[in-house]
Amino acid sequence: MDRAMERYFEKIRRILLPRAEPSELSELFEHFQALLQDHQQLMVTIADLGEKSGGEYIFDRKYLDDTVNQLRGDLLRLVERLNLLTNNKFMALYSSVDRILLQIEAELRGRLALSDEMPLAVSLDALPLDHPELVGGKADALARIRQRLGLRVPDGFVATTRAYRRVLQHNRLEDRIHAWLESWASGKSDARQASRQIQYSILAATVPSDVASAIRRLAERSATSWAVRSSAYGEDGELSFAGLHETVLDVPTRELLTAYRRVLASLFSQEALTYRREMGMLGEEAAMAVLFQEMVQGRSAGVIHTVDVTNPRQDTLVIYASQGPGRLVVEGIGEVQRLSVKKGLSQETVRQSTEVHTELSAAGSTPHGPAFPSDAQGRPILGNEAMKTLTAAAMTLERFFKRPQEIEWTIDPAGCCWILQSRALSFSMETGPLNDAVRESCSRYRVLVRDTGVVAHAGVGAGPVYQVRSESDMPLFPDGAVLLTRYTAPWLAAVVPKAAALVAERGSSAGHLATIAREFRVPTLLGVEGATELLPQGEEVTVDAKQRVIYLGVVKELLMYELAKGAVFEESPEFRLLRRLLRRIAPLHLVDPSAPEFTPEGCRSVHDVIRFAHEKAVQELMDLPHLLKRFRGIKVWRLVSEVPMGLKVLDMGGGVDPRTEGDRLLPERILSAPLKCLWRGLSKPGIWSTAPVDVDFKGMMSSLTKTKAELPGFIEFTGFNLAVITGNYMNLHLRLGYHLNLIDARMETEPARNHIYFRFVGGVTDITRRSRRAHLLAHVLSRYDFKVDIKGDLIVARILHITAEEMESRLEMLGRLIGFTRQLDIQLRNNDDVLKFAESFLRDEQEGAPLTIGGKHERPED
Amino acid sequence: MNAQKIRILVLDDEPIVCKRLQPALEKLGYEVRTFTSSLEAMDHLEENDYDIIITDLKMRGLDGMRFLQEAKRRSPRTEVIVITGFATLETARESFQRGVFDFIAKPFKLGEIQEVVARAASKLRELTV
Repeated sequence: MDRAMERYFEKIRRILLPRAEPSELSELFEHFQALLQDHQQLMVTIADLGEKSGGEYIFDRKYLDDTVNQLRGDLLRLVERLNLLTNNKFMALYSSVDRILLQIEAELRGRLALSDEMPLAVSLDALPLDHPELVGGKADALARIRQRLGLRVPDGFVATTRAYRRVLQHNRLEDRIHAWLESWASGKSDARQASRQIQYSILAATVPSDVASAIRRLAERSATSWAVRSSAYGEDGELSFAGLHETVLDVPTRELLTAYRRVLASLFSQEALTYRREMGMLGEEAAMAVLFQEMVQGRSAGVIHTVDVTNPRQDTLVIYASQGPGRLVVEGIGEVQRLSVKKGLSQETVRQSTEVHTELSAAGSTPHGPAFPSDAQGRPILGNEAMKTLTAAAMTLERFFKRPQEIEWTIDPAGCCWILQSRALSFSMETGPLNDAVRESCSRYRVLVRDTGVVAHAGVGAGPVYQVRSESDMPLFPDGAVLLTRYTAPWLAAVVPKAAALVAERGSSAGHLATIAREFRVPTLLGVEGATELLPQGEEVTVDAKQRVIYLGVVKELLMYELAKGAVFEESPEFRLLRRLLRRIAPLHLVDPSAPEFTPEGCRSVHDVIRFAHEKAVQELMDLPHLLKRFRGIKVWRLVSEVPMGLKVLDMGGGVDPRTEGDRLLPERILSAPLKCLWRGLSKPGIWSTAPVDVDFKGMMSSLTKTKAELPGFIEFTGFNLAVITGNYMNLHLRLGYHLNLIDARMETEPARNHIYFRFVGGVTDITRRSRRAHLLAHVLSRYDFKVDIKGDLIVARILHITAEEMESRLEMLGRLIGFTRQLDIQLRNNDDVLKFAESFLRDEQEGAPLTIGGKHERPED
Repeated sequence: MNAQKIRILVLDDEPIVCKRLQPALEKLGYEVRTFTSSLEAMDHLEENDYDIIITDLKMRGLDGMRFLQEAKRRSPRTEVIVITGFATLETARESFQRGVFDFIAKPFKLGEIQEVVARAASKLRELTV
């Protein structure tokens, strides 16, 4: 059925169907259980999509269509359940779902680039990635380099292809351009005539006010002098278009629009027209985005080829360098030094076999006068440091783009290296016998690991092994090393961009670190049992995360083969589409339920909707007085234990031993797996200290003068602690003193269904101490691989997709943590105390209990 | 390497499938030819012989079931591997009745298909020895 039609029927259904609130308690339980099921199903689908983006799977369009269809069905059902549970409190969520699904469907049909949702102009740092049709190939690459790799790229912004279309439309140029191109195609006019007419009309066009003001607004923020450059759709992508379009340098801000028109017009230069025709591109398919960047006045400049095109099999990269502001190398004029640098995997080898001599760049063709030295003193243009920096940047770029690169660079008077452009370097290498040769070459290397682990991101990378054991190892992590770790803790994310490959003993491809590895395209193998013993620290290894093999040594032949022939799946339209879909599905923006944007309107992704619906469903059950009024005979248990917590328990099915009578519940009668584990930790001897807490004067005064309403994020609570449970689910709200603590957990045999969500806010004493306690919790929780967010004294921690055993050890730990931190903020007198208390807790955990940091299979997640 | 390379034909009307299967199989030393149109692939089979055929089922033009039937009729020794996004028990059963070597549901892992192809290849080698 047509999707619009489907939605229409859905709306009618919503209006016509009687939506009486459930009258029976059993019905309410059923809805809640079903909502949890839908919630799980949706989370599994999201994890699945993420996994597919790692390159290990072959999928097709149909898979994407099917998955989106399934998401739609599950989402609508989830929202319907929520409304059934809450007596239609959240009808507005339907339009949020509609809005999000419409965007996803537009992505699927590739209709977004020119829609109003896309900007006319946008800064490089906010540039939407994976939209080369909107921003052009050059800007897409530069934005990635800035946003992802953190290399220095001059700041700036892009007038998108949508702006280009606006200019044509506003000046009624589309039909005229079409006519001129037709007349050229039919031979009535030649390329020179067609080109001239079109270019003149664009140069004379008015830039419509919305486009002009978008450009001015972004230009106002910075530079006085700009480089205005072409970023045509298709340029620097599969087709090179090198040098066909215009670049205007040193443009003052007031002349930006003139330069803009000049670059737009160059889309129809005679060379560009002819080139596109030869490449089989129709004239009107082309579109021009324009890049405006702050001018960097170069002291020296040049080009790097990450492969020596004259001898591709040699393991060297070539730096062409010239004095002055640059463009000499690119344009092939003037004197240029050529340095060939051994591609070192470690910094030490960089300088090796560097020869300096002068010649014309690869782009130039005329032989040029006497060789080396080029400058008066006979010194090489590039110093050792600059050369190292450039080499490191070049290797990073090649690693990321997975193809040999041609990189334009410049060095400013302060000695900073800037990347002006990076694109695939085309060169020919006889690849015929390479296939067999690669297999043979590989077989000469010692295999350390074979057919083990799961591929989180496919690819091949090599470098020295560096095992990160704790956060203190991180600053020492060398660029281009192979990151080895036991657990895939989220805090490792900081070194992932520097890694040539990632190998972990635990972890799942649905985990948070896997997502990060994909963002930075780092070849990643997870779940490699015994890796920390098999891979010797400091030794160079080659990780083939396509075939799941790790070799001892650098398998140059394989690396070269991948660079020359390996499929860069990341750049294929299907993967781009998948990533664009994922960006509207997977991110969670609604982290804090007490934040003002925690509303149906605030939902920006599918994940947000799921999160919102779940939170609100639970809140509904937490409103016990209301619930008791709504349902007669609702049974609330009172947990009887030595821990004086006054916990009430609402069993939604299977959480309490059916033989229990009366309203008193003994801990051993709890059947709910998560609550059982948590309670085990909470009720350990010594955990629940009832001894009076040592309150110092300042803390005391603060707690005496405080009223409830002053607490930020304070949620009015009904005065007792409550757990809503089922056999494998628990939602626990605790108010201990002024702390509000929530733990939501689901625990099954299938790891993809499991999660723990932890939230903690408030407390006696001033905000400084409360935030100290938040930091203490963060410290402890991140050691257990939770993904942690802190905002003031609010802390939110999540972990997904871990095994039941790992759930068990973590819930038990949380139980103790609740006891431990109960009134801890009063004792946290200074920042040093945070670490002291955290370490003491972690020490006790290790000594006092069988659980260690990290369970058997680490599967932390976003 | 074996003296004679195993020849594989891949047919799927979604280019992404061909584009990704080709390098993954070539790297293992197979000779690979890909098609996105079943009619073109059929024409090509008139003149050429393949050891292994990997085909989608649901396609425009000639559908996969008929394609594999025809291919099998021409060259009974050719091993056919079916890849499909419409995996049902019936289609699987029908494929096997038509002598299909194996049946893989999309999406699948590269390693999965490499493994199935390796099994098919070793079966072919056993037969030729």
